Amino acid sequence: MEIFPALLSVITDPMLLFAIVLAATVGMIVGATPGLTASAAIAMLLPITFYMSPLFALAFLYVIGKSGRYGGSIAAILFNTPGTAASAATQIDGYPLARAGKAGKAMKVATISSVIGDLMGDVLLVVGVGFIAAIALKLGPPETFAIYFAAFVVIGSVIGESIVKGLASALLGILVAMVGLDPISSEERYTFGSFDLSNGIGLVPLMIGVFVLGEVFAQLEERRKATGETKENESSADGNDLTWEEYKPCLPHAFRGGFIGAGIGVLPGLGSAIAAFISYGEGKRRAKNPEQWGKGALEGVAAPEAANNAVSGPSMAPLLTLGIPGSTIGAILLGVFLIHGIQVGPTLFLTDKELVYKLFACGMLGILVYGLIGYFGATQVARLILKIPTNVLYPLIFMTAFVAAYSARGSMFDVTVMTFAGFVGWLMRKHDFNIAAFVISFVLAKGAEETFRQSLLMSDGGALIFVERPIALAFLILGAGAIAFRIRGILKERKLAQGGLGDA
Amino acid sequence: MKRRTLISAALAGIALAATATASFAADWPKRPINLVVPYKAGGGTDAYARAISAAADGILDVPVVVVNKPGSGGLNGANSVVGARPDGYTMMMTSGGSFLLSTMTRDTDIDALDSFEFVAQVGQLQTSLMVSKSSPFQSVQDVIDAAKADPGSLRWAHSGRGGFHHVGGLGFLANNGIEAQDVPFKGGGPTRAALIGEQADFGFLGVQQLAGFEDQLRALAVNGQERDGIMTDVPAFGELGIPFAAVSSPVIVFAPKGTPAEVVAAMEAALAQISAKPEFAELLASRGTGPVYQNGADAKATLSAMKEDAAPLVESLTN
Repeated sequence: MEIFPALLSVITDPMLLFAIVLAATVGMIVGATPGLTASAAIAMLLPITFYMSPLFALAFLYVIGKSGRYGGSIAAILFNTPGTAASAATQIDGYPLARAGKAGKAMKVATISSVIGDLMGDVLLVVGVGFIAAIALKLGPPETFAIYFAAFVVIGSVIGESIVKGLASALLGILVAMVGLDPISSEERYTFGSFDLSNGIGLVPLMIGVFVLGEVFAQLEERRKATGETKENESSADGNDLTWEEYKPCLPHAFRGGFIGAGIGVLPGLGSAIAAFISYGEGKRRAKNPEQWGKGALEGVAAPEAANNAVSGPSMAPLLTLGIPGSTIGAILLGVFLIHGIQVGPTLFLTDKELVYKLFACGMLGILVYGLIGYFGATQVARLILKIPTNVLYPLIFMTAFVAAYSARGSMFDVTVMTFAGFVGWLMRKHDFNIAAFVISFVLAKGAEETFRQSLLMSDGGALIFVERPIALAFLILGAGAIAFRIRGILKERKLAQGGLGDA
Repeated sequence: MKRRTLISAALAGIALAATATASFAADWPKRPINLVVPYKAGGGTDAYARAISAAADGILDVPVVVVNKPGSGGLNGANSVVGARPDGYTMMMTSGGSFLLSTMTRDTDIDALDSFEFVAQVGQLQTSLMVSKSSPFQSVQDVIDAAKADPGSLRWAHSGRGGFHHVGGLGFLANNGIEAQDVPFKGGGPTRAALIGEQADFGFLGVQQLAGFEDQLRALAVNGQERDGIMTDVPAFGELGIPFAAVSSPVIVFAPKGTPAEVVAAMEAALAQISAKPEFAELLASRGTGPVYQNGADAKATLSAMKEDAAPLVESLTN
């Protein structure tokens, strides 16, 4: 167990501890600020790290990545704005909780769940880094496609009242994902001759538009209808304190989210946002109170928050052993290793084992640090924010949304996309279309298409490749089974409803 | 009368502008230089830019700031630099081969040879033919024989259609009269992983991708007349006597069209000094790459020659 001496040496190094605390704080702030993401912060801070020792530089950036993923939940809960893409799923229940005056409670659930998920991911990484890398290598395009297929089932669980509208929303998401370059032939599709569109529609501006601007527009409309807008519920001590009784039902969701996130972390490139949505969908499917989800269920915060942080640890395995970054943060970390002359790859654990385990140790300490700051600081932040009157808050949110959309890629075009997406989101809300299904399918469609077509190239066009490979087959069966299960459930509900009508 | 004053005013203006340019060029650089990299942080070109930025200390009096503008196969960043003020404070460092090919295959007004001033070449990225360590192919000839024995049965991986690894691979296939189905992956890392995981029979990827993966991969040949300067253990197609297409990717620094000649010359001289620094080579060594310097005029000639070489292959791509 190389991790224990590593932990010991990290704890006894005051400078390193200071770096961890600083990184946890910086990460939380950038995560919580819509428009600043952990990856943008890391990219900005990268030049500074040239002059640090490698461990210092890596620990600093790694912890920023972790606490940034967590910090995103703060903005999601308070403003219905995902501070990072990873926290988009947290809004679904986090924001209604804040509106009910329970912002502090929601943030504490987010904190505990993030810490649980993150620690689960890190333990898995420390115990099974070699094993994880071996799995990652076994997953070729057919297996990855099957996993995407299984993930698509999640959409079924977030579909609300209307199946037709839910499926239409998912289809729209797939259509929007098709814009840009064909993943295989690199030819332009649906770009209408616009150079900007050839880059595709960015996830960040799309999400901010649909979730945030859509919400702002909806609020504006409400205000015009109802003059003398009532202020959001004052937060009370009761709304900010969390009891063990309240967290208890969240625990299974946090653990499940941790496993889902860790599993997704193994697959390079799926990322925190998908993990959060899958965990949310899965949580809702298994919840005892699914009708509460989306209206302010604490479990609906726990499930995605545990999952998006659990991605962090395991995603380091393919990065360190295969040089495949699973995220933007991973790509930058890879650069740091190389800039400091450390060759990433299978030999890393022979040449720089001590450094790697010290880095893992720093990550674990970082989790505890942001957990403590978050748990005790979140309530204060929530109190402050909720004192802001809505007529000040909404313009502020509006502004941060613009900054966020612009800063993700430094592109004015993204601001246009966000505005357009805002109107789409508002219209979808108005007519009860399903925004979550739209975003999830947008995220999944790209990877699903790419891996599907890669598989067909490998097999010369034969679909049998998915059945001939056991791992792929297992996931396909899993997905199909879940869909069948879901359809049966829906039919049952209908029968009951019809039966009820017949009796009347 | 009026017209005359206008003309003289205009002339005076031109004269002023000219002196301004001259004096302006003389005290360049006085603020940080933005070096735009049209790829993600952490990639091969990005590593060169960051090494330049670190090694510029003591040669240029101002910091060199690396700005990543990824997207559209490098054209996104190129577009932003084409429109930048030609004042010597915005430049672009790009993977010349990929940049050239994307201007040939994509619908764009940018011409790789004419839209920018060539400042200098500081590095070189080479593609190479690799197989998994457990592959039955021990030599390039083995690959060619297997492809000929059962045409169309082999699969090969690369990092994206239209990139220089893909075009290099196509050149190898075409020049040896063999066929194989390509499977594109997103970028070098995933391509390497796919090859290690034996998702494809062989692949074309950067020769530097071998560094640290010698136990998982076997590089059969580097796509050039001579061996790579850093990865010296890998034989070259040229020495093996196997036909190939001379497509590589010189890492070149470009300035916006119209940047004063003195500024371009000063930057060229600075880059020559920077790329000669031992520190620069050390920073790149761990990535399996190294300094390869050429002045702006030579870099332009190299790229022109490559354009002629690649034209028929690009033709086959786009049709």
